[in-house]
Amino acid sequence: MSDARRDGAASTFVGEALVVGYPAAEEPVVDGESIRVPPGDVTALVGPNGSGKSTLLKGLATQLPLDAGAVLLDGREVHDFETKELARTLGVLSQENVSPDSITVEELVGHGRYPHRGFFESLTDADRAAIERAIDLAGIDDLRGREVGSLSGGQRQLVWIAMALAQDTDVLLLDEPTTFLDLHHQLEVMAIVETLRDESDVTVVVVLHDLDQAARYADHMIALDDGSVYATGSPSAVVTEALLADVFGIEATVSEGRYGPRITPMEPLHGGDIGSR
Amino acid sequence: MASENAHTDLVDRDRWIDGSLVALCLGSLAVVVGGGLVQVSFGAFSMSVVEAWRAVFDPAVLLDRRVWQAFLLGGELPELSNRTLIVWNIRLPRVFVAVLVGANLAVSGAIFQAVTRNELASPFILGVSSGAGLMILLTLVVFSGLAAILPLIAAVGGAAAFLVVYAIAWKNGTSPMRLVLAGVIVGTVFGSLQTAFFFFADDIGVVQSAIAWTTGSLTGTDWEQVRMALPWTVVATALALVGSRQLNVLLLGESTATSLGMNVEKVRFALSGVAVLAAAASIAVAGIVGFVGLIVPHMVRSLVGSDYKQLVVGCLFAGPALMVAADVGARLGLQLLVGSSAQVPVGIVTGLVGGPYFLYLMRKQGNLGEL
Repeated sequence: MSDARRDGAASTFVGEALVVGYPAAEEPVVDGESIRVPPGDVTALVGPNGSGKSTLLKGLATQLPLDAGAVLLDGREVHDFETKELARTLGVLSQENVSPDSITVEELVGHGRYPHRGFFESLTDADRAAIERAIDLAGIDDLRGREVGSLSGGQRQLVWIAMALAQDTDVLLLDEPTTFLDLHHQLEVMAIVETLRDESDVTVVVVLHDLDQAARYADHMIALDDGSVYATGSPSAVVTEALLADVFGIEATVSEGRYGPRITPMEPLHGGDIGSR
Repeated sequence: MASENAHTDLVDRDRWIDGSLVALCLGSLAVVVGGGLVQVSFGAFSMSVVEAWRAVFDPAVLLDRRVWQAFLLGGELPELSNRTLIVWNIRLPRVFVAVLVGANLAVSGAIFQAVTRNELASPFILGVSSGAGLMILLTLVVFSGLAAILPLIAAVGGAAAFLVVYAIAWKNGTSPMRLVLAGVIVGTVFGSLQTAFFFFADDIGVVQSAIAWTTGSLTGTDWEQVRMALPWTVVATALALVGSRQLNVLLLGESTATSLGMNVEKVRFALSGVAVLAAAASIAVAGIVGFVGLIVPHMVRSLVGSDYKQLVVGCLFAGPALMVAADVGARLGLQLLVGSSAQVPVGIVTGLVGGPYFLYLMRKQGNLGEL
């Protein structure tokens, strides 16, 4: 746990004038955007396919090199962190993860303690407690002895989230954690996010494909359009009919639902109807 | 919570001791002991099994510090009976060398498979063997004065070849297929260079010994080879065991390992160094024995799973078992089949066993390669 957490304050996480792209491509995907993530809250990054939300997250996660700009964690440049120190502060869950089939759930979650352990150290009581907390929070107690290869895609995702939780970081970045999952496991994943939002100081940034989901679970939303921030604010401020038309290219109505703004998609908009695309 | 204790126990248990691992180790041990028994009992100087085992347990050897000093540090052997001398000075050291070579190759292959996340990786396929073999030939044929530091030279050659393979395969990262292809390319070129050296050797004896080196042979190995390989084996094995947790994390892929705070490039490089060291230690005493580094880790993995702590321990037993058994075939096979007392290089036997196993894997597993 970093000093900030011990003081009871959540970590601030800021991206300034970020230029992020892929080495093979000429043009950067994200060109000079700044992101401010409210400490201790859940922030959802939304946008259509190709809008750069995953790229932006990878830039924030230091998985892609920044062409320009800086990512600051509690005011400190992430590149100034030593690798393990960064991994104790900033957790990242990628969209696709691989593991040997024969590893058990418990062992995989245990790898989340890697940045907390020295080269020769074995698991300490603190490590075991963190693993237990992560398994408990992810609700995978019944799976702990199973081999990961024998799990369904949804169960596997919960295990990977548990591994990231065992890292016990102040900031957690999740890249499309619900995509490709069945509804049950989508809700399981989002329930974990909800718990993090309500019961911890962890600052969460989550890329979501599903706008309804984002509106329901996030405190704060950032909508991306073609690599630029289109709107940022509370779900009800961001999810509007204008945004759906301009960014997502659909005609839709937005009504106030039980869990925040609710979208009813109607028609795709074509050609000139769509704002910036 | 009542189940709290049970859970902590589960995490506590580091899965060191696992039923299938114990079975594997005991089975391998039985093969090594059985193979060793055959090796010490049969040969040009005939003695009965009972006589051979009496010689093995000869107190004149077991209890004499001077004898062990001579074995392990070199120097003059005290007076011993003929049988004891043949068993302890000729037949047993060969078994010991086989054990060391098998363990080294298996551990080396296991590490390479994790570093490249590729089941097809082995010192043989990744060019390490051919690089080390080339340097050994160069030393034998051209710089015969350097023969004393042959293991070191072999290690340098192996490391250089692996770096070349990695560099060729690198294009925004490597893939299993690219690594294997690059290994084939480098292996082919180095193989040609090895053949070229045969032409510069004017002595038929040098050519023969060169062929023995490049095929992998344990013929004529004695305590000197044990002394040469043992320290490196201990170091490489210890480092492999210490690095097993890093290997486990590497198996989760580069991006996960990085986000867990591992400096992936550094760890990969260091562990590759350990694998090269292990391979080189084996190549320096036995030449290029193929397939052991490929099939032993695979067999062990299919029995004990992919946890590297267990895998490395399993390899330390299964590798020697395969090598000792193969060497029984190499030393006594022709005698049994055609009654000739000639020996074949052990590399031929491992190739004959390993090739079909490889084929079987290819047929059985659709997506062989990615680990």
